[in-house]
Amino acid sequence: MMASPVETTLLSIEAGAQHLMEILRGQASAAGLPPKLRAEWQALAQRADLLSLFTEQRLKEDWKYTPVEFFRRQWVLGQLREAMADFPVVGSWPFAQQVPPSEDLPALRSLPKPTSPWEVLLASAPAHAHYVVHKQERVLLQPAVAEGLVPLFVTVSVAPHAEAEVWLLPSVQGFLLLRLHIDVGTGGRVRFFYPTDIGEGHLYGIFTAEVAQEARIETYDMTVSALWKRSEMKVRLAGPGAAAYLHGASRIPSRHCVDQAIRIEHAAPHTESNQLFKSLVYAEGRSAFQGRIYVHREGQKTNAYQSHKALLWERSAVAYSRPQLEIFADDVRCTHGVTTGFVQGHMLEYLRVRGMPEAQARQLLAGAFLAEVLGKVPYSALTDELYRRMGFAWD
Amino acid sequence: MLTIRNLHVSVEGRGILKGLTLEVRPGEVHALMGPNGAGKSTLAAVLAGREGYEVTEGEILFEGQNLLELSPEERSHAGIFLAFQYPVEIPGVSMIQFLRAALNAHRAAKGLDPLDTAELMALLKEKAALLKLDPAFLSRSVNEGFSGGERKRAEIFQMAVLGPKLCILDETDSGLDIDALKVVSEAVNALRSPARSFLIITHYYRILQHIRPDVVHILADGRIVRSGGAELAVELEEKGYEPLLAAV
Ligand SMILES: Nc1ncnc2c1ncn2[C@@H]1O[C@H](COP(=O)(O)OP(=O)(O)OP(=O)(O)O)[C@@H](O)[C@H]1O
Ligand SMILES: [Mg+2]
Repeated sequence: MMASPVETTLLSIEAGAQHLMEILRGQASAAGLPPKLRAEWQALAQRADLLSLFTEQRLKEDWKYTPVEFFRRQWVLGQLREAMADFPVVGSWPFAQQVPPSEDLPALRSLPKPTSPWEVLLASAPAHAHYVVHKQERVLLQPAVAEGLVPLFVTVSVAPHAEAEVWLLPSVQGFLLLRLHIDVGTGGRVRFFYPTDIGEGHLYGIFTAEVAQEARIETYDMTVSALWKRSEMKVRLAGPGAAAYLHGASRIPSRHCVDQAIRIEHAAPHTESNQLFKSLVYAEGRSAFQGRIYVHREGQKTNAYQSHKALLWERSAVAYSRPQLEIFADDVRCTHGVTTGFVQGHMLEYLRVRGMPEAQARQLLAGAFLAEVLGKVPYSALTDELYRRMGFAWD
Repeated sequence: MLTIRNLHVSVEGRGILKGLTLEVRPGEVHALMGPNGAGKSTLAAVLAGREGYEVTEGEILFEGQNLLELSPEERSHAGIFLAFQYPVEIPGVSMIQFLRAALNAHRAAKGLDPLDTAELMALLKEKAALLKLDPAFLSRSVNEGFSGGERKRAEIFQMAVLGPKLCILDETDSGLDIDALKVVSEAVNALRSPARSFLIITHYYRILQHIRPDVVHILADGRIVRSGGAELAVELEEKGYEPLLAAV
């Protein structure tokens, strides 16, 4: 059950932001960071203008399209628990080693400076965990939040030429605020799986990755349900030949919102990125998508593609899509495509003329819409499970 | 099996069918010919229950039942099959998924359990062989990237799988090469039975050389203006519509 307070104690958004900030700031021990970073971040967290940063941020482009009703709840600090994954975790790789914080951890060296008040507060969160992947290991994160707001901070350092799988399987009834940074060393490989089925829970993930020369990251951000889920993904392709392949498939039922803000930086030559996102939005659901491709002057021979498609189930479903390209190199290939539309009448009719009742025909088309992305998940057991939970038959 | 009496249909307020009457008995093959825009596809669409067609007068009985009261899926369950003139692409839905869903919907309507995968695959493979289709095509998305001829062949494949009572073929022969036409015709002939009827819409005599019709009708300006045996199609092939229509 939701542990949030009853309607009568709803705050104004401003008061809610302040309250949020205060409870997060009260936690700001930054105990899981090495001394130098800790001092830096603690100072940031105490900045006097933090509240105004919150307020300003909300008005900015990349927050404009997401409802922030959660600000109005009087959140209390919750407890972080560990829960067994209820998604199939496939494969038999050993678990990655958890290590103490140190200035030498690649992920703490490449950790970007915070750009939002959330990041500031998260960096000083009490729960930090640092993992190192040496050869071929898996990081399994199963944060469980039974009630209240829980901040969590995780870094993963992937050694040169190592292979990592990062599985993030949240189970959230309150509000999980998560900061994850992955550093992929030269020639390293990372696959990040992020299936979400949290019903009425709130989930805000800020993900960043630094990808070195010839290294590659693949992400699979899949949503079955979440009252409010925001994923920020910022990937910096830092070395020549680095690549990022981002996938997202969201099923957004009534009143739910999935908000994705992507930024791919091509900061070195011959880098490649591909974003493939699809949102299936039911009546009164909302999808917000922003994908920015940023090509630095150094990013010659960049190859970047971005696609977001939204399928609206009914008139009351809403989708915002904003592709953004910023290109400062001259020899690049960047393309993007955005489509938003309703279930196609002629397809529906074809299925019905073949004997499928309308509801079933619609389900089949909905499943087919997401299939393009779900089919890219490299583990069929995970694909099948997502399909099953989304209510689609699959074979 | 099928009785159409004085059918009037309009599309977007414009009268297309203007008093069409037709009787198809079990086991019969009827060919429906007529100039472009005469209303042949309109008739097919109305029989299948497609949207956008308003029946303003007349009636259609299928095995004694008022067809116009049924939804498209109910008509399909009742045994009506329309092979589309322009089959629709459904990206992301494989032929297998599609036919499994369709077949099981038919079975559910009859109170039968779904087919298991082995039964389904056996049926699909058998019918694919009948149409000389590579089984690999079963894994492809419905009609996506199919050539014009492949789509037509796929329609008849679906028909063979669903085993309807009344098969309506809307210009299935258009776009088929000579060999494909033979394959499709043979498949249709293999499906002929005393309990199954066909309404074959075509512009060409060629397909009727392979599938011998019992009756040939000429539809012009929303009405059947002439009916006859296979020789009517021969006459059309030789002289064209003009002299025939002038005589009406
Ligand atoms: N959805 C529609 N909207 C507008 N007009 C339509 C529609 N469907 C059919 N018509 C019109 O109805 C008339 C009959 O069309 P229909 O497709 O039935 O002809 P047809 O006999 O099948 O012709 P063809 O031999 O070219 O396939 C045409 O004038 C056509 O433009
Ligand atoms: Mg036609």
